[in-house]
Amino acid sequence: MIALTGLNHKTASVAVREKIFAGCQEKKDVLPALRSIVGVEEVLYLSTCNRVEVIASIAEDGKALKALSAFLAQNGGLTDQEAAGCFYEYRDEEAVRHIFRVASSLDSMVMGESQILGQVKDAYRDALEKYATGVVLNRLMHCSFRAAKRVRSETGIAVNPVSVSHAAVELAKKIFGSLDGKKILLIGAGEMAELTGTQLIEKGAQSIIIANRSLAQAELLAEKFHGKAVSLDSLEKKLVETDIVISSTGAPDFIVTAAMLKKIHHQRRNRLLFLIDIAVPRDIEPAASELENVYLYNIDNLQDIVDENVHARRKEAIRAEKIVDEEVERFVNWQRELESVPTIVSLHNKAEDIVKAEMEKASGWIGNLTKEDQEKIEALVHSIVNKVLHSPVTVMKEESSDISSRDIVAAVRRLFRLD
Amino acid sequence: MILNNLELISFKIALILCAVSTIGYLSSLLVRRVKLAKISTWILSTAFVFLTVKFLFVIINSSWFLNPDSRDFLSFCAWTVCAVYLVLQFKTKTRVLGAFISPLILLFMIAAAGEEAGKSIRPQNLQSGLTALHLFLTIFGEALFVIASCAGLMFIMQNRLLKSKKLSGMSRLLPSLNDLDRINHLCLLWGFPLLSVGVIAGVIFAQISWKTGWLTDPKIVWTFAAWMIYGFLLHQRLAIGWKGYRMALFSGITFILLLVSYFGVKICFPTLHNFI
Repeated sequence: MIALTGLNHKTASVAVREKIFAGCQEKKDVLPALRSIVGVEEVLYLSTCNRVEVIASIAEDGKALKALSAFLAQNGGLTDQEAAGCFYEYRDEEAVRHIFRVASSLDSMVMGESQILGQVKDAYRDALEKYATGVVLNRLMHCSFRAAKRVRSETGIAVNPVSVSHAAVELAKKIFGSLDGKKILLIGAGEMAELTGTQLIEKGAQSIIIANRSLAQAELLAEKFHGKAVSLDSLEKKLVETDIVISSTGAPDFIVTAAMLKKIHHQRRNRLLFLIDIAVPRDIEPAASELENVYLYNIDNLQDIVDENVHARRKEAIRAEKIVDEEVERFVNWQRELESVPTIVSLHNKAEDIVKAEMEKASGWIGNLTKEDQEKIEALVHSIVNKVLHSPVTVMKEESSDISSRDIVAAVRRLFRLD
Repeated sequence: MILNNLELISFKIALILCAVSTIGYLSSLLVRRVKLAKISTWILSTAFVFLTVKFLFVIINSSWFLNPDSRDFLSFCAWTVCAVYLVLQFKTKTRVLGAFISPLILLFMIAAAGEEAGKSIRPQNLQSGLTALHLFLTIFGEALFVIASCAGLMFIMQNRLLKSKKLSGMSRLLPSLNDLDRINHLCLLWGFPLLSVGVIAGVIFAQISWKTGWLTDPKIVWTFAAWMIYGFLLHQRLAIGWKGYRMALFSGITFILLLVSYFGVKICFPTLHNFI
């Protein structure tokens, strides 16, 4: 059966997650150790900053599942008290659904984020390289990638930005179209401003000017961006050149006033100006928003956009869950076919079909023979077919109680093209 | 006769395709799917091809390339707007513009189809290369102004959405302010010289064939006013540096004013341009 155990940001505190994460990072041989647990056939190990999970194909009695979570707890050096209630365990269809939801980023802290799929793929590649996976997990992981891909392309779950800095970038694109060659002015050297600046540069913005009360700090940041540092005194002059302003100082009063912008409006030749004010108290006078071709957003405005997008993602998640359900059903169906009995039946059916078709083809000359001879030939053909099929069918029947039967059944299905 | 029929058939196909693409564009606004707008663009391109075929038949059919009867005139308007839009579209990828322009094209086409029954006989004295040039350039110039104004209207909408600090679905669908401003700029830049040459050609022709009396013709006054206003806008843009919102607002107002006065003039006054 397929089983899954692990913990994530919902069930375990950050302290516990850290311990487990560190425990597994130290030891390079987590996969072989997991595999050596009795009853574990195939195993895959996923570890990110928000979750640690083990997905395994284990013996039908399910005893190995407890051993897996115990191993994780022990490996992370957790006390029994810490470990209690942190681990979740899923079996069969539930486990399949869980891993599909994880890959599709429905279980992530930021729903719809794109990193998790890459992490799942890395984990799978790791397991593949160490020969820790087999027929069942290989198929399971490929199906989970497909589910994730469908969720991404068929729903809008990853469309709208859900962080303040991404929302700012999207707004900049709605104003300027392309950010190529746009000039950015950072007022104040805050972390948030830095992050937003980085993302704008990534999207093609040309240069950054940093204006700060302390010139030394501005220079430090300027070095990082290959930008220019100026003091706050030359702010007005710099405002003339720039297209995007991100302000985040701790100043109590407005640093950029509407009157100031009005004054330089003509000098800027009425170019569009995008102002982002993420400081509290605010740095840019709200009246600036009334000016022509000036677009001012403060931190609350950006947060409102983010909230709305989060809401929209939740709505899309309902559609995503339906896709996951479909894919789970598909996988479970495939798994069911891996049982011996249906495979034996379809093997016989296929042979029967071939015999029928060939006899039909030969009906021309067989028809000339006596009835007795015809019956003899038919009996001969059937007996040959049954003899040929006898060994594979017997092996499948014999092994059906054993866990390795799946490999054999899968091989038969592939060799005889039964899928 | 066969040629006439073929001309009619390709016109009708173009009309139907145009209607389909308009519906497609408008519903792409409603359901907010870019794919629908993409398909509509291809349908409109096909309509454009059929319309072009129609004009090929017109050229083969008649001694000079444009019959200044209503139907040809209006469908030629549709053809030019369509051509300019498609070129812009493939250059800037602002498909949503289609939702604003395709209804206009459809309107031209329907009006053209309405006139189809009573094909007026073209005035003999208008047959000259000069009038052809005049018609072609003025229509082209004004088609560009139409698109400039559409972009202006969209700019005003997008501006309003962004100023309201919301990033709604509508705002996501509309092109960026900068792109809209660029479309407005390009259309004014190309439309104005085309219209200028067109007007000059008309003046020369009128001077030769009518000698006097044409200056006070209401339609000429109207065209001259349009030319002046767009010239003024272009001047403000290039020399004074008007940009963005104000430009969009003025081109929008101008467009509506000119549209109203055009129909006003058409209904209220007798004119030498009675075929338009």
